[in-house]
Amino acid sequence: MNGYGGSILRVDLNSGTISRQPTPAALARDFVGGRGFGLYFLTREVPVHADPLGSENKLIISSGPLSGMLIPGGGKCDWTTKSPLTGGYADASMGGHFTAEMKYAGVDSIILEGISPKPVYLFIDDRKVELRDATSLWGKGAIDVEVSLKKQYGEEYQIAAIGPGGENQVLYACINHDYGRQAGRGGVGAVMGSKLLKAIVVHGTQSIPVADLDAYRQAGMALYKACKDSDGLKDWTRYGTTIVVSWCDEVGALPTRNFSAGSFEGGKTLYGPVMREQIVVTDKGCFGCPCPCGKYSRMKRYGTQVEGPEYETIGMLGSNLGISDIQDVAQANLLCDDLGIDSISTGGCIAWAIECYEKGLLSKTDVDGLDLRFGNAEAVFAAIKLIATRQGKLGVLLSEGVKRAAQKVGNGSEKFAIQIKGMEQSAYATHNATAMLVSYMTCDVGAHHNRAWAITYDLQVGRDRVAPDKVARVIWLQNFRPMFDVLGACRLQWVELGIDRDLYMPALEAITGIRRSWEDLEKVGERIWNLARLYWQREIEDFGRDWDLPAPRFYEDPPTTGVTAGQITRFEDVQRLLDMYYEQRGWDANGAPTAETLERLNLTVVPN
Amino acid sequence: MTATLRLVGPLKEYANGRSELVVPSGLSVRQTLVGLGIPPEVVALVVVNEEQQNKDYILQEQDVVRVLAVIGGG
Amino acid sequence: MRLYVDQTKCSGCHACQVACSLNLFGVTNPKMSALVIEPRFPAPGVYELKVCTQCGDCAAVCPTEAIKLNERGAYYVDFDECNLCEACVTECSEGVMFVRTELANAAWKCDLCGDCVPVCGTGVLWVAEKEQAPV
Repeated sequence: MNGYGGSILRVDLNSGTISRQPTPAALARDFVGGRGFGLYFLTREVPVHADPLGSENKLIISSGPLSGMLIPGGGKCDWTTKSPLTGGYADASMGGHFTAEMKYAGVDSIILEGISPKPVYLFIDDRKVELRDATSLWGKGAIDVEVSLKKQYGEEYQIAAIGPGGENQVLYACINHDYGRQAGRGGVGAVMGSKLLKAIVVHGTQSIPVADLDAYRQAGMALYKACKDSDGLKDWTRYGTTIVVSWCDEVGALPTRNFSAGSFEGGKTLYGPVMREQIVVTDKGCFGCPCPCGKYSRMKRYGTQVEGPEYETIGMLGSNLGISDIQDVAQANLLCDDLGIDSISTGGCIAWAIECYEKGLLSKTDVDGLDLRFGNAEAVFAAIKLIATRQGKLGVLLSEGVKRAAQKVGNGSEKFAIQIKGMEQSAYATHNATAMLVSYMTCDVGAHHNRAWAITYDLQVGRDRVAPDKVARVIWLQNFRPMFDVLGACRLQWVELGIDRDLYMPALEAITGIRRSWEDLEKVGERIWNLARLYWQREIEDFGRDWDLPAPRFYEDPPTTGVTAGQITRFEDVQRLLDMYYEQRGWDANGAPTAETLERLNLTVVPN
Repeated sequence: MTATLRLVGPLKEYANGRSELVVPSGLSVRQTLVGLGIPPEVVALVVVNEEQQNKDYILQEQDVVRVLAVIGGG
Repeated sequence: MRLYVDQTKCSGCHACQVACSLNLFGVTNPKMSALVIEPRFPAPGVYELKVCTQCGDCAAVCPTEAIKLNERGAYYVDFDECNLCEACVTECSEGVMFVRTELANAAWKCDLCGDCVPVCGTGVLWVAEKEQAPV
């Protein structure tokens, strides 16, 4: 099948049985790939109310038709599962080179099922697919595992591995690849760890067939030319996502001390140009990317190196913890990567714990004797280790995520647990940025910014405006941006370089032989969006409007410092925004897709 | 007494597509942007003679200032 | 003319290899390309790159005269004439002669098509006149 690896690989870890079936053409036509395939298999194959860490949950890894091709940014795969953190839908997008290698091995999706009786890793080498003993790897950091396996098999082999965080089933454990890329959020690493799967090794030597070779080459070259002609290319490559640290600080979006403010007096030493000067060694990129955003860094103070930190980690493990030294942030980043826990959720949990400790809601014993204060990097390093290994009272408490931790501690700590649907909010403070607030509230995996980065729109049209156009903007972004995850490509070439998105369509058609427009894809996007919503409804008893509400901090607790001092969104406006969102989505007052909407989208209730 | 202002990406739309402008020195970056009708909030990064500055930086004669928009974020 | 490299700018993206495989074989398969990318991770955290310098040593040693000059003045392998003896592989001081019989039935090398240059976003690669050898 043109543009695809050609097979669905199914791995039953209970029995060790592996089967390979041709990817159905109808699946490729209707769900395209990547996140689309993930949702398809999740909704159809994981039983209702399955235990996310039990035998019935599945972890689905999917490449897309643009992965591994002559396409700028053809380096993304999607990891989909039922989230142990939220109990709902989770997907995580991973860059690097794994997705390309999957295609060269002839694989579109890997479906991991059941639980292995002992630690194993999955070995894929063209047609040879085996489960191999991982006893000697169990307990090792994810980076160590990658080094070991590359040494054993060779540099061409791509590795995705969990660290102790995944082995210990920390609910926001992640999966690591290429020394610094992650399938980060929602606890995909915990699911992998619950299956006793330590790593996946993939290698393929096949070529990827295309429908029209000349047209494909031409369209791919046109995309590369557009990227290279972009006058933003040099600066974006120089700074990557750290390009917005100073801007976020300036506009009050930089999460500071557990989102108690949006600007950080210690922020200047975290800005992109400072970081580049102090620690950056290499601009490191994913497959096919002409504008490598990865900043590979060397921390002289610790004698270590890491890919990062990028914006989210600078926000969540830097300003959000009151830490202003970029080497400390980078070191915290490394610990999270190697131990295998999501840096965003980790930052959110530790920040909450610090605030609890400062308020006397956690005692010295509760924090295992750590001097847990904003700005204390050593305590942060220790807390990260406790979490990943589930040691100590603090480690155990925080390993469950901030929502459960706050439920346990009570005493009003729920109010400053910065999460939605159980997922810790990523690094944009939304005291006064209503489109971004809606984006977080309605994101289909929890409080993550990946679907709709709407904060520029807020600043352009009036940050506190509560109006239908804000909601419309978020919905458009939500229908469009995740289509890159479906195509198996990165969205940042379009997002950051501003290239004409229409350039992708001739390439997609030349590769797959199927003509599509972005409007067609946005319709697929809308369908998938509603399918995910139905999944949440099916899995969670009382799922509804309450699950879309933001942390009370954003409507009760205006910052006392910084650019947004005194600013807050009123709760009645939060409700109005939600009402507008539901109306524009065609959902009822409790956020359920209406019968009319389901019919229009040709979606039945999620089958089980 | 002038400086050079370079507009990157969509910021060019504020100057009828022009990417390079000659601007008076002695004003802050912020004042310069406002004077050109560019909302300072949409500017992500200000680089003066290849060093990052904030928007209160006062333009000196012969400075070369590059301003980048916040396009799409993460 | 030959390809030049500033490997300090390499981000390890493999786009050059994809473009190369399309040119040499009409396929999307970076393993069938004529550039070598060697990641050095986790430390020092850089990529090293090897490309053909068009030195001609491979052509000189080829027993079947399979390595010829094309219209760009660059050495290339005539697949029909190659007998897979691998003398060129041994001779090549850059390690950019390739024999992988699971992928192709002949040796292959860079033919200086130049397609790797426009797909490299960081400006690692460029084509220029060969520098004069020191006397």
